[in-house]
Amino acid sequence: MDESLTRIHTAVEQATFRARGQSIKKRHKRNPLQPSAKWTAPARVGRDQGTALAVVLSTIGCAHARSDSGGCTMCSYLLDGSQSMPSSEQLIEQFKSSMVGLEGKKAPLSVKIYTSGSFLDPEEIPEAARSEILKIIGADERVREVVLESRPEYVQDSVLSEVRSILGDRTIEIGMGLESASDTIRTVCINKSFDLQTFKECIETAKGHNIGMRAYVLLKPPLLTERDSLLDAITTVRDAQTMGVTTVSLNPVNVQNDTLVEKLWNRRKYRPPWLWSVVEVLRKASEISDGWMRIVCDPVAGGRRRGAHNCGKCDSEIVQVIRDFSLSQDPAILEKPSCGCMQQWEHALKHEDSSQLIHR
Amino acid sequence: MVEFRIGRGHDGPARTGEYILKDTTFTTPLLTSLSTSSNNIIGSGTLGRDDPLSDEPMLVSLPFFSQIEDLQLDKLRECDAVLLPSLMSFSSLTPDSPELILDYQSQALTNLKTHIEPSRAIMRVPSEIFPESFSKKITQFLETGVSGAVFVFNGQLGQEDLGSLQLRRLLPLSMMAVALGRITPGLLPLLHYTGFDMIDANHAHEAASQNIRLWKNGPEKIEASREPRYCPCPVCSNIDNDEEDQSIVLLEHNLDVYRSVLSESIQARQSGRLRWLVESQTHNSPSMASLLRNVDRDLYQFIEEFTPSTGSETIPLIGPESYYSPAVRRFRKNVANRYAPPQGKQIVLLLPCSARKPYSDSRSHRRFAEVITTTLGSVQPKVAEVILTSPLGLVPRELERIFPAAQYDIPVTGNWDTEEIKIGAEALVTHLKKFNSSAVVVAHLSGGYLDIVTAAEPDIEQTIIYTSHEARATSRESLETLGESLSELKSVLSISSEPRTTLREIVSATADYQFGEGAGRLLVPENSKLKGKPYKLILCQIDGDQVCSYVAESGNLSLTLEGGRRIASLGRYWVRLDVKSVKGGSIFAVGVQEADVAIRPGDEVIVINNNDDVIGVGRSDMSGREMCELNRGRAVTLRHKVE
Repeated sequence: MDESLTRIHTAVEQATFRARGQSIKKRHKRNPLQPSAKWTAPARVGRDQGTALAVVLSTIGCAHARSDSGGCTMCSYLLDGSQSMPSSEQLIEQFKSSMVGLEGKKAPLSVKIYTSGSFLDPEEIPEAARSEILKIIGADERVREVVLESRPEYVQDSVLSEVRSILGDRTIEIGMGLESASDTIRTVCINKSFDLQTFKECIETAKGHNIGMRAYVLLKPPLLTERDSLLDAITTVRDAQTMGVTTVSLNPVNVQNDTLVEKLWNRRKYRPPWLWSVVEVLRKASEISDGWMRIVCDPVAGGRRRGAHNCGKCDSEIVQVIRDFSLSQDPAILEKPSCGCMQQWEHALKHEDSSQLIHR
Repeated sequence: MVEFRIGRGHDGPARTGEYILKDTTFTTPLLTSLSTSSNNIIGSGTLGRDDPLSDEPMLVSLPFFSQIEDLQLDKLRECDAVLLPSLMSFSSLTPDSPELILDYQSQALTNLKTHIEPSRAIMRVPSEIFPESFSKKITQFLETGVSGAVFVFNGQLGQEDLGSLQLRRLLPLSMMAVALGRITPGLLPLLHYTGFDMIDANHAHEAASQNIRLWKNGPEKIEASREPRYCPCPVCSNIDNDEEDQSIVLLEHNLDVYRSVLSESIQARQSGRLRWLVESQTHNSPSMASLLRNVDRDLYQFIEEFTPSTGSETIPLIGPESYYSPAVRRFRKNVANRYAPPQGKQIVLLLPCSARKPYSDSRSHRRFAEVITTTLGSVQPKVAEVILTSPLGLVPRELERIFPAAQYDIPVTGNWDTEEIKIGAEALVTHLKKFNSSAVVVAHLSGGYLDIVTAAEPDIEQTIIYTSHEARATSRESLETLGESLSELKSVLSISSEPRTTLREIVSATADYQFGEGAGRLLVPENSKLKGKPYKLILCQIDGDQVCSYVAESGNLSLTLEGGRRIASLGRYWVRLDVKSVKGGSIFAVGVQEADVAIRPGDEVIVINNNDDVIGVGRSDMSGREMCELNRGRAVTLRHKVE
């Protein structure tokens, strides 16, 4: 990266840290025995329809976000976490209480463990808690699929051996925020602080344990035009396919509290992506994948001002189309929607590139 | 090599020029569009993302990149101009980020130099940059050869748009100014006026995609429930047809509105009425009005610098926006700072203005003159006539033919608003301080004019006599009162008769107005001889040498070489050349070594060499700073030169 870009990145880092402000220290007190969030939903598990449990454990939160680098420009998930470090027992209790949601559900089940950080980071989830949580899953025969989230620095052979041995022959994926295949965009626009090479190494490590990679692809990080981000997401999906990613989860940016994105958004200098862009990336991704990868997307705050949105008239229909596609993986669904605002989106794609004026 | 050449002609910073891309020459001001490239529009698009719209050159934006290999440079045609890459909104992040983004562009330009010759490049100016940083950074881009700069407008006409105009003011004069963003047709006159050479017409497309038809004065939403406004343009005859085509119809109409308003602006500039057009646009919306007011407040010096000091077309001054228009404000300032009344005036006669210009040609002023001549006869030289008017404040009789006093036209109702009264009163107080306190002020005024005198009265030292407060100044009754008052004063003040001094006073006052204080004494000393007619031509000679002539048609003085030598000592209105003598009928900017920055287009100037010898006199075609900064174009049209 040129020196001028390095200095730009430093400025982004400072601004991200400033945007974070005191928010991390001022997190709400939480019941250490309850997860931050949990929900179950019908989902595709393997080739069948089943149920997925998603749980967000309440931890101290992502180490990157807590650091002086300010964390990622669009993410404040760690604000869902707790101010003080919960004990292993408390974390296990959080997980047990979530598993209650799967009572009476029929196989196949899928369990996704999020932490607003890295499940594999021992500073966040002590090894004792990690093993115990995995054992609880290992004991439930209905669970056929497990997704664990982590940044690359915690993905190590020894840890994955343990995961594999406890979970047996279940399908396992590590969810990781690749965000963009471009090191420049991931660094300058997202402040993610790892490079593509590290991500590739993780895929290889995981492959060694027959563990798949669920890559989070970000749509519209700050500082890019709508079309910059649309094209970058497509390129990223293509590269993800080449690298051997098993699932692509497309994440359109939503405006989260105390982030750089929110600061820009408040000053009318940022607009979350159009739902049309989401549809377009999914269409292209589906074409690229050709059935080799799973392509999923659940736009947070979809159709709302802080989330990916269109004109307001067609939003709920399109969000539904996106969810339907994630379940069915049928690209034909994506061809259906149409609305007058499509022309405005097309205009914004071209004109933001040439004028650098935000089209809100 | 891409060239931007500035052509002749000015109205404020507005200018015409040529943007030469390879074999194609575009005349500026020019529109740009992402959807078409024809008929006064240069196409634009993004490298590797949009296909060329035609064989014509276009503006190609480079997307944000870190490695040259990321760019599809093979798709860049040799004739295209290139907009440097940026990171959207980055410059708003930290105080130094605007500079960082310029450094990034500069770095990109360096990395690309084997592929893109710098003159093809147009930089992007971050709207958040501090003016001082911009001035500092811009020099390095200018030196590299970058030929233009983009300023962004969000179309809200608020602080950010004003900020872009303030930055544009700092752009080196030889660089092309490009306005991109959400720009409505109604903003075109102001952008042309503030010196933009290329303007984004893409809001035509944005509006069309939202079923909006644009007009010069505002948008019209096309709805099924409402009859659309009548439009004579051929494309609009298809407006009711099926929805699919509607946005195409609207786009064509909208683009034509841009073309038409731009053409109107260009034509207005050519006839010296661009300011009027800009003022008339303020009625589009309150935000448009506040933008112009802010521009007049913050950019006055920039706009005034390029506002011609002469002109022949009528200048309508219609609303409050005219009170502070550069030509008007400059006139008030010059009268206040440069005009000195002739010695020995014992009566100051205040008169109302007339619709017809110059005032002397009007019926009302001919009547006043009749009364004055019959009652005062040979003591008339002791009277100073001053015409009160808005928004010029006041016009001494001697200057009634000078620009814009002879050209302005205002709506006359007899009522003045508070601002006009304030302007008039200030001018009057300043003016009367220049007269002896024992002089008597005769206010032959009624209605709103009286309000000016009333407002000024506490600050006026002289005695004031009112001669027409009950009736109109031209009524028989008022004229009789005027006559009686004047003859009374003649005896009370025991004014003695004197030879007529009209010619001398006109030439001397004009000299001071044009060249500043002291010029009148140098050009029209005691021993000078004047002959001619005030409403035609006055020649001024000293010791048999003609020094200048007064041309009533322009109200200006033309210098001879001798006249030039006489005022050279003032150190004003000079253009210095690095040659012994001049050849040909013009001086071009490229040959100008240095010039007085006070020079405005249309000013009478003296041409000097390095020994400070006057080697020519003539009329300027550009401002002093342009003579220094530009490398092309005619700077001075010579009238006389040393053979």
